[in-house]
Amino acid sequence: MLLLLPLLALLSIPFCLAAPSAESAHEQLVKLAAANNGLIKLDDNLYNLLTHPNRNWSASIHLTALDPRRRCAPCKEFDPSFTAVAKAWSQVPKPQRDNHFFATADFDDTMATFQRLGLQSAPVVHIHLPVEGDRRPASGRTAPIVYDFSNGFDAGPLAEQLSVYTPVPIPYKAPIDWAKYGTAVGVGLIILSGIRVFLPILRSRWAWAAGTVITSLVMTSGFMFVRIRGMPQSGANGQWIAPGYQNQFGQEVQVVSFIYGLLSAAFLMLTLVTPYQTQPYRQRAQIYLWSGVILVMFSVLISLFRVKNRGYPFKLLL
Amino acid sequence: MPAAKIAPSKTAGSSQSPLLSLWKAYYESTSTRLKTIDAFLVFLMLSGIIQFLYCVLITNFPFNAFLAGFASCVGQFVLAASLRAQVNPANRSEFKDVSPERAFADFALGSIVLHFFVYNFLG
Amino acid sequence: MPLAYSLPSDLSPATVTNTSSLLRIIALALISGAAIASRLFAVVNFESIIHEFDPWFNYRATKVLAEKGFYAFWNWFDHTAWYPLGRVVGGTIYPGLMATSGVIYNVLHALNLPVDIRNICVLLAPGFSALTAWSTYMFTKELKDESAGLLAAAFIGIAPGYISRSVAGSYDNEAIAIFLLMFTFYSWIKALKTGSAFFGTLTALFYFYMVAAWGGYAFITNMIPLHALTLILMGRFSSRLYVAYSSWYAIGTLASMQVPFVGFQPVRTSEHMAALGVFGLLQIVAFAELVRAHVSSRQFQSILFGSVIVIGVLGVLAFAGLTYKGWIAPWTGRFYSLWDTGYAKKYIPIIASVSEHQPTAWPSFFMDLQFLIFLFPAGVILCFRELRDEHVFVIIYAVVASYFAGVMVRLMLTLTPVVCVAAAVAFSSLLDTYIDPVEPEVSEVAVPVTGGDSSAASPATVDGAVSSKKAKKAAAAVADASSTGIASGIVAAIGGQSKSPKARGIFGLDTRFLIVVNALGMLLFFVLHCTYVTSSAYSSPSVVLASQNPDGSQHIIDDFREAYYWLRQNTPQDAVVMSWWDYGYQIAGMADRPTLVDNNTWNNTHIATVGKAMSSPEEVAYPILRKHDVDYVLIIFGGLIGYSGDDINKFLWMVRIAQGVWPDEIQEPNYFTPKGEYRIDDAASPTMKNSLMYKMSYYRFAELFGGSQAVDRVRGQQVPKTGPTLDYLDEAFTSENWIVRIYQVKKEDLLGRDLKTANAFANGKKRKKSKPLARRKALA
Repeated sequence: MLLLLPLLALLSIPFCLAAPSAESAHEQLVKLAAANNGLIKLDDNLYNLLTHPNRNWSASIHLTALDPRRRCAPCKEFDPSFTAVAKAWSQVPKPQRDNHFFATADFDDTMATFQRLGLQSAPVVHIHLPVEGDRRPASGRTAPIVYDFSNGFDAGPLAEQLSVYTPVPIPYKAPIDWAKYGTAVGVGLIILSGIRVFLPILRSRWAWAAGTVITSLVMTSGFMFVRIRGMPQSGANGQWIAPGYQNQFGQEVQVVSFIYGLLSAAFLMLTLVTPYQTQPYRQRAQIYLWSGVILVMFSVLISLFRVKNRGYPFKLLL
Repeated sequence: MPAAKIAPSKTAGSSQSPLLSLWKAYYESTSTRLKTIDAFLVFLMLSGIIQFLYCVLITNFPFNAFLAGFASCVGQFVLAASLRAQVNPANRSEFKDVSPERAFADFALGSIVLHFFVYNFLG
Repeated sequence: MPLAYSLPSDLSPATVTNTSSLLRIIALALISGAAIASRLFAVVNFESIIHEFDPWFNYRATKVLAEKGFYAFWNWFDHTAWYPLGRVVGGTIYPGLMATSGVIYNVLHALNLPVDIRNICVLLAPGFSALTAWSTYMFTKELKDESAGLLAAAFIGIAPGYISRSVAGSYDNEAIAIFLLMFTFYSWIKALKTGSAFFGTLTALFYFYMVAAWGGYAFITNMIPLHALTLILMGRFSSRLYVAYSSWYAIGTLASMQVPFVGFQPVRTSEHMAALGVFGLLQIVAFAELVRAHVSSRQFQSILFGSVIVIGVLGVLAFAGLTYKGWIAPWTGRFYSLWDTGYAKKYIPIIASVSEHQPTAWPSFFMDLQFLIFLFPAGVILCFRELRDEHVFVIIYAVVASYFAGVMVRLMLTLTPVVCVAAAVAFSSLLDTYIDPVEPEVSEVAVPVTGGDSSAASPATVDGAVSSKKAKKAAAAVADASSTGIASGIVAAIGGQSKSPKARGIFGLDTRFLIVVNALGMLLFFVLHCTYVTSSAYSSPSVVLASQNPDGSQHIIDDFREAYYWLRQNTPQDAVVMSWWDYGYQIAGMADRPTLVDNNTWNNTHIATVGKAMSSPEEVAYPILRKHDVDYVLIIFGGLIGYSGDDINKFLWMVRIAQGVWPDEIQEPNYFTPKGEYRIDDAASPTMKNSLMYKMSYYRFAELFGGSQAVDRVRGQQVPKTGPTLDYLDEAFTSENWIVRIYQVKKEDLLGRDLKTANAFANGKKRKKSKPLARRKALA
């Protein structure tokens, strides 16, 4: 292994701060970074080297646990993004590139570091600012900055936020999602070629009516809430009603919109269809049937609502 | 609207004789009353174009004054065009509730309101 | 013709029409009364007081308007807000609300009715809700008939979705805006139906009023063009559309530019460009139609058609170019966040932090609209069945508003009217069908449809003694004559618009009885629901809180006013108070003291400064406080009595907003425990424990519990026994239930020591040698 030699050399270095000078450490890091697409694989010693107390470079360190035994799903999700951003950084011209490093520290290689940092969850991204040199922060801060995952695990926001600390912005460009464009073009072509088939649908008012009603049903049962908040389809242990008044799971959208739809269909049947029934007894049966449906479904709806809003004092049959 | 004004010139370039026939048909089948309104419309359009050119080519400095002037042209134009549509006998079936007298009253009211705001906006 | 029940036959048609119109008026009056009365819970339960946050500013501005006149109000520069920046009030508000109350105030005083301006402000929203009910009646009448109109008016009168923003005391722009919205839409529909420039002008005038009253006017600005565009695409262009749209746009746009806060936006920003584009398109189409009427040559027409398309494409390109060049401003963040729902959280945390900008979960919909929410799709389907121009409008409105209401809780307000209208259409169609006494014949022979003559059906139900509920039914029966009576059931409707030859009607009395009783039961349930929701959820002023004593009696918690009046009485007039922006308007309104930031969140950096001061350690925060001349810091703390809307719960937003401006000094993750929990007990992160907000909240909190364990009732966590200490601030005031805590910022030490050392010295502790030297330098 090519890396083995410097690694061995490093292993012999004690933890004391003076041992490798900042310059030699820097050279080593540059080499390591160049060897692996701009991303340094860390072990405990390299970690100390990278966070050298006299560093004049900055570093983004990604602390993660990729080993399958650790069962860290978010780590796996985030890892490609970080690698992609690190790779994008390696395209930057050399003078700027060597002032910022990207490194990954896997839990299984850097247990001591994880322990020392007191980290209990992963992934975490630390940004170490330079301690010396002209990029030194005005506040003299040496403790790492913790990256905020509130924008998700995507590479775009990561690159954008890390760019604040790098000498030049990271030239990260999201890869073009060919599959998505391909599907869009394909669907477009199908629609265009089948315009004769689709035109009657486009011109049919009932197609539009169905679209409109489904849209409003779905929207009024909290679809946007589930999407914006990223709520799961159902909760842990199979529970599908989220507790709390201002909260819901994905499955509730389906159930509630179904109930709404059934109720309004029952009203429509009573208004539009039953009056055309010419047999008195059949008509009577229909009317009783639909009234029953309305009563039962409305009670179900109320009882659902009572689950969400415990203080609600009214109830129907249920 | 500037866009509307381009329309005649474009068609003119593409075919000459239909334009003549159009003019002829218009000249013969339109009542004097409507022609008067049309003349007014043309005047408003020219006035609007001149203001617009002034704004684009020279200066838009008192922008509110320009807007007021231009909006008064456009507003008066569409109100007059509405009046024209309402009194046009061909459209009788569409405007069942609007007699020509009522149309003129509406036109007058709209113009008064419009010019109230124009005056207020001239600054 | 067999009848299900007998009708009095000795009534003349004139009597019937007169009676029904009288009953309509009575019903409308009763609906108005109910609408106003149901909004008075807040006044009855508490007192005549202005609610919440924004209303306090509106009230303050109205007072200026009423006392000093319109011109002083227009030129009002508020020195006390956004200290030290100040705020130009006249140019940064929608003055419609204040002007309305000012006019009412002056009219009443001219009539020698000396009404207090506060009472006008408190009761303005209920008053306008009656007008909203009326305009919804007018709107629905255009859509279906009077009976549906009355139902719609009753629905919107008491629907909690609208009450939530219009109870007495909720003196906000929405109070009048919904009336304006509905009336603008009504006159737009009317203008479109009759093709009258008069109604177009009326639409423009009310649009102007709306622009002056509420930022949500952009909804109208885009709804009407969308409707017009849809009609054109459906091939329904008519001269009536041209007249209505052109007169609205030409006058309305010019009028809207008179409002200083709007200014030149209608010709400069993307939100308004749709209206301009459709205006241009209409001119072209109208011109093309005119030419087409004169020439019938096919070749010429195709050229015309082509040139219309070319011009349309050119227009779109020009718009794109102008946007690109920066002549037209792109979508503003607030508007943009409606489409890209992740946008606000990423780029404008201030917008995302407001609780009413959160997405809506389904229980809120049900809470606010109850059974209307599932009648609404049925009503939309009925609109599709007829599909006149105005029905297209309702359909578009339904789709757009239900999307918006799903994205933002606050926009439930715009959804409520259309839900009421559509539900009323569905409900009255049902009643029409089942109250009509005419029975079809059992034979297979086709019976002519009876919808045509109203006189046959109406005398039946217009009985002598009728309650207002019966009146609605009567009106329903009268109106049965109109469109819905015409046979076109679902089968007939799907198979095209040809009228079904089949007879339509209901057999027997029991079926009618069942449906009508069922319907009345639902209405009754709705009334109970609305009363419950209004009284329990929406009538709290949030300035005064209520809780129940163990014996069930009401206990009023009046900490806010207690603290604000303490400020007013005990601090100098020019003492600057710092608090989180939520309380800025209240401090200005009730305590009359300058504030650093308030609810008019126009300056992100200033708010972030406050956020930074709150989330930094004392020694970092102190220079910030001193630089901004802050004398007092006010925080809200609910830990003692379990008031969940307190500052510790809002704290993360302060951190986030501060982080947006100083990313290297404030980081959100530092405020969590290593496990990623938000805690305030012993396990809290050191950054959290050192933050000014934490210290001020829990200062001396543990002492209150004597020796026993102190518990924060909101977070349900145990507070450390040795609470935080404060060196740079002094506790000045803490209200009865500890909800409001006010701290005084200490002046610099007279001896030039830093305050921490001075404190330590005063407490008799020895100072450490090493630290103070550096600190003193930093401070000087």
